Amino acid sequence: MTTTIEASVGVREAIVARGVARSFGSVRAVEDATLTVPAGSVTALIGPNGCGKTTLMLMLSGLLRPHGGDIAIAGHDPKTDAAAVRAAIGWMPDQLGSWDNMTCLQTLTLMGRAYRIPKDAARERGAELLARVHLEEFADRPSRVLSRGQKQRLSLARALVHDPQVLLLDEPANGLDPRSRVELRDLVRELAGEGRAVLISSHVLAELDEMVDDAVFMSKGRTLGDEAATMVAHARTRYRVDALDRDHLLEVLARFGIAAEPSDTGAILTIDSEDRAAEALAWMVNQGVRVHRFGPVGSALEQTYMAMNEERR
Amino acid sequence: MTDTPVVAPPKETTVHPPARRGNPWRPTPRGVALMTSIELRRRRPSTKGYVLYGILFAAVIAICILAAVLSTSDLSSTNLELVLIMVLGVGMLIAPSLSATSINGDSGEGVLAPLQMSHLTAGDIAFGKLIASWLVSVIALLALSPFLIYAFTKSGWHLDELAITLAAILFMVLAFTAVGLAWSAIAARAVASVSLAHLTTGFFAVGTLVLFAVAGTLVTDTKTVTEYYLDWETLTADEQKALDDAYATGDFSALDPADYQCTPQEWTTGLTHTDQIAWLLLANPIVTIGETAPIVDPETWREDGRAAPGAFAQMHSLVAGARLGPQDDEIDYEPYNECDQIFGTAAAEELSPEEQEAQWEADQAEYDAYQQELANLPRAPWLGLAVQAVLLVGSMLIVVRRLRVPYKKLRAGTRVA
Repeated sequence: MTTTIEASVGVREAIVARGVARSFGSVRAVEDATLTVPAGSVTALIGPNGCGKTTLMLMLSGLLRPHGGDIAIAGHDPKTDAAAVRAAIGWMPDQLGSWDNMTCLQTLTLMGRAYRIPKDAARERGAELLARVHLEEFADRPSRVLSRGQKQRLSLARALVHDPQVLLLDEPANGLDPRSRVELRDLVRELAGEGRAVLISSHVLAELDEMVDDAVFMSKGRTLGDEAATMVAHARTRYRVDALDRDHLLEVLARFGIAAEPSDTGAILTIDSEDRAAEALAWMVNQGVRVHRFGPVGSALEQTYMAMNEERR
Repeated sequence: MTDTPVVAPPKETTVHPPARRGNPWRPTPRGVALMTSIELRRRRPSTKGYVLYGILFAAVIAICILAAVLSTSDLSSTNLELVLIMVLGVGMLIAPSLSATSINGDSGEGVLAPLQMSHLTAGDIAFGKLIASWLVSVIALLALSPFLIYAFTKSGWHLDELAITLAAILFMVLAFTAVGLAWSAIAARAVASVSLAHLTTGFFAVGTLVLFAVAGTLVTDTKTVTEYYLDWETLTADEQKALDDAYATGDFSALDPADYQCTPQEWTTGLTHTDQIAWLLLANPIVTIGETAPIVDPETWREDGRAAPGAFAQMHSLVAGARLGPQDDEIDYEPYNECDQIFGTAAAEELSPEEQEAQWEADQAEYDAYQQELANLPRAPWLGLAVQAVLLVGSMLIVVRRLRVPYKKLRAGTRVA
């Protein structure tokens, strides 16, 4: 997890923001946001409602002018080359909008043409993107018949029409059914695998855990740098042990002076590597503890998010 | 089902959008054309809409056939003028309604920002929306075209004259479309922008007339006039009888001036210099359309192959009267003096009945000449058209400025989308 920015921006760093700020009237929506997303990686932007995630995304996308700080998207500065910034970005807004009486394919074709892609190529690309987001059967049906989750997928396809190098996905998992979430996760990984930089904001933290390479936490308009990174790293070392005989487990741990947090059904241990975790499990079984569940404690991002919110309260 | 791997199709069309530099905002022909076609597709009516439109069109044709069967063969331009006013009125109602929700509505639906992200410039989006809304209004107005064609055949107008007036109407509809668009770029809510657009239209259609009436009091010179009348009360019975006789016969020579004293009576009169404020009338869109209509001479219209002066001709004369302002005889008004009338000039210049007749005829000729001058006063649509052009250009500047991204500030109470 790197949230420090080098003085010279490498080519690989597709999104760079440093000290970005923006206020609306007297409301300081974003006070100090700093983040870096390298090409070919997925970064999560996590924070409670109203912490400034969407405002930050709008500034990164070149739709909103920051009041302070520097932004570089694919090497372009929105202050001087806003059009180049927008052209490099595929933006999926948090608000779902579609042209109600146009078909999905028409929507994507027209959107492609708005990017100056020739009509035939735009149409072909539109059809492929519909297949990619599993909306082929809706290609010739008006977009008003789509369900919320289907509209989300159309919106994602729309963000991809011009083959952008940078993707900004604002709450893409909202309203998706579990299967669509899994598909979204795989699609996002694929898109990163193609060399795109992806910045994704979401509340569904368990999904993000498996999807992202890095996470940026945001609270009250500020990105939390290293402290949050430390918390995530710490959260990743926590293992839950559930035993049939809880008291015996705690007694064994206490006897060998192993620090553990007792839980209702067992204990939570801090283990710093997977090798050590395997050893620990074998050791506990040898000690006669009847372990029936052993694994990382839930989502590291979720734990951090919860811990962070507690601190901030 | 669940284990179907989610993989990209092997083949993927590679697209190469052109590179972009800076932050262009000017409209481009391609961008405007694409935006227009997007907007027109979005506003494409449903089947129900087509049916309704068809019924309306059929009803209009039926009324025209009925009118053709029932009407006399006389030329009359009034029908055509009423249809033209109707076209203007309907256009001025429809056009702002269509455009006034175009930007804040799209923003609310979340379909504006994705377009702003694309290679379409602010100018492309603004002018595409303008042209699309205007075209929809024009198509709606086509429903009235049977009326127009029918009324034209009986109006005594020439085709080129009709074309000019129609072009002026369509230009006005375009200007008010732009006004609606500007309000939709400024106001966050559709209710506000639609009302403001209609208020703007109403200001030009009605407000200019009200302003003209109010401004009239500012350019009115009031002056006090002193006139002299005989004071009947102070006369003796004999003197009253002698005066009555004199009035009855027209022979005042028997009266003794010393017996009849006139007393002064004061009253104030106003003279409104309408020529100073006639421009308010000329800024009115309906007057402007009337001013593009052909001139009909009240004396020679029959020989000219025209219908009798209709609504536009009368409006032109009224406006011309305001433009010319008070006439010399109103300005050099001679206060009345009854004693002078009896004992001075009137007694000396006794008019014979023939002379009286000639006098009346001269007065009538003077009046007719004035009317003819009014009817033939050169047409003045230019001020009104200039006002519309300023509205059009100003509105579009506002719209383009408001659509440019990155936004410096947002409409109060809105989100970007």
